[in-house]
This record gives sequence, structure tokens and C-alpha cells, in this order.
Amino acid sequence: MDTVVSAAKLNSNEIFDLMKQFITEVIGEEFVEEMDITLESSFTKDLEMDSIEIVSFSEKIKIHFGEKIDFTGWLSGMDIDQLISLNLGMIVNFIEECQ
Amino acid sequence: MPVVEVNNRNVHIQQMNMDAPETVLLVHGMFSNLSVYYFHIAPILARHFHVVMYDLKSHGRSERIASGYDLNSMTDDLSGLLDHLDLSAVHLAGYSFGGLISLKMAARFPEKIKKLAVIEAPDPNDDKTRDIIDDYSREFLEHYVENFTDTTKMKMGKRQMERNHRMYEYLFHETSIKNDMLLERDFFNTPEIDQIPRDTLLLYGKDSNCLSAGKKLKDRIERAEMIAINGDHNIPIQEPASIANRLETFFRN
Repeated sequence: MDTVVSAAKLNSNEIFDLMKQFITEVIGEEFVEEMDITLESSFTKDLEMDSIEIVSFSEKIKIHFGEKIDFTGWLSGMDIDQLISLNLGMIVNFIEECQ
Repeated sequence: MPVVEVNNRNVHIQQMNMDAPETVLLVHGMFSNLSVYYFHIAPILARHFHVVMYDLKSHGRSERIASGYDLNSMTDDLSGLLDHLDLSAVHLAGYSFGGLISLKMAARFPEKIKKLAVIEAPDPNDDKTRDIIDDYSREFLEHYVENFTDTTKMKMGKRQMERNHRMYEYLFHETSIKNDMLLERDFFNTPEIDQIPRDTLLLYGKDSNCLSAGKKLKDRIERAEMIAINGDHNIPIQEPASIANRLETFFRN
């Protein structure tokens, strides 16, 4: 069973490392090894994440942070062009602001 | 990842607003997955409803299985999922192949379905539908990805293309999906379509090559209304808010 882990407030570097960990878990270590994941990495173009992988990624955020971070709600407010341009830095900022 | 065991197979599900009194269950199409609803359609429905999405067998994050893609088996899976989740009756919406599953579900298990919404279900007897199954090739895959998948606007990179190619190869060459679908070619002409006893909403794209299938269903199902939405077969991607709002209005009234 998935459980909500209560997290202490993280700084942006810690959030970035956590996001990299989630991405690795979702798309697999063998693919991540070939990538240089940075704050500028876009989800769809650079990381080549498809929509079902973004669902899994969203779920990891929900499990880790609980209801206080409505990541899915944030994404649902974006149109498809905004989703395509979404990068890791935007996500780190969003989580940092919501904490 | 929420996974439940239905008919001895692992099924990936996602749920929103689990405290709501009424449930809407959403069924995706062939070669797709629950994400077609997850970001833009389900959150609107979840303002008022408990929303359940699941990945069909061998799709998305659900377990692979070599056989059982006929509509009886697919609705056995869906019925089993409802039982597992302890849902006695739900509003049901399905897109494309998921629309066929939803029609079959309302025909076989009307007691489990409150209202039915069918989005862009193709006529299985239509040559265009069958051609998709018959003419599979790498070229077809690239064409299909460009034009018919829920990732239409997202250009695929190498990893995604390979991954999707593996899924198509698996479904077409290692499962019974092709033969199972061919055996369903007369589905729209069977009496069970005429006898669907539920209020039914048919949503089709104005420019879709499935539009005639919608009109056929409208003529056959007694309590059906049909709405044409701007777009083609990809209306859940092209007009997600419009689809979600139409569904919400239909299920609430």
C-alpha cells in the first residue's frame, strides 16, 4: 500500500533531487543514465515522458507531499502547449511555493 | 501505483474525489491509457463525482495478457472491477474502443449502469476500423501516432516511439486482439444495441470519420441523444473541457 510520508519543508535543491529520484523511478535508471537532468529539462521534449508516465510522476508527488501539494490540479489548469513546455524548474518552484 | 487484482490480473486504476456519493467510470481507447482523461477531463468531473479510471489489459500500466479482447471478456473485466471497488452502479463513459466496451457493458449489465456516454465509438464493421487492424506496419504506426493517438501534439522522441512500437507489436502479434475485434464486426447490428435501456449520450467529432457510426447508434438506441463537437476522432484531446462539461451536465441531470 502506498502511504503518505510526512515531509519536512525542503529547499529547492532538495526538491530538485527528489524530483530526479521520482523521474528515475518512473522512466527507469537505464534511460536516466543517458540524460543530463537539469532545471531546464522539459518533461515531454528532453525527458520524453509520455502522459501515463506523468500520471505516475504526479502520483509520487501526491504520496510524498499529501494533499497540500495539488500537483494534478496545477497541471489540469494547463493547456497542452503549456504541458509541452513544462520544465523541471517550474515544478520545483511550484512545490517550494506550496509547502 | 494503485493496482488492484481483477480476474487474476493486475489492473492500474486512478481515482479522484472518493467521498462523492455518485461514481463516473471512464474507459479509454485502444493503444491509449487512462491519461487521456486524467489531466483535463477527470478533474472537471471530480468537482461533483467520484471518478474512476483504469488501464485496459496490456495498456498503460496494467498487466499484459495474450487473450480476451472480445467485448464479453472486456466487460467481464469491467464488471469485476466494479465488484472489487464495491460499486453497485455507476455512470459510464467510454472513448473509441472504450465506447464499444461501454455499450456492451450497458447491454450486458444494465443494473450496474446508471447513464451511458459513448465518445467516438467506431462501427466495428467499418472498413476504416478494420483497416487499422489489417494494415499494421511501421509506416502505419508513424501515421497513427501522428494522427490518431492521444499524444497527437506531442512529438515523440526515440524512447517513446520504441516503447509504443513494442506495445503495438505485442498487441498485434502476441495477443488475440486482432481476431477478437474481427469477430465483433456485427456488434452494431445485434439486437442488444436496440435494447440498451439507459439514457445514452453520444459525443462525436464533426469532422470524424466515425460520425456515421454515431448516427447509426442514435437511430438504434431509444433513449439516445447525440452531440457533435468541433474536431475529429481526437475530440477528448482537442476539446477536453467541452467533453467534460457535456458529460458533467448529462450525468448530473
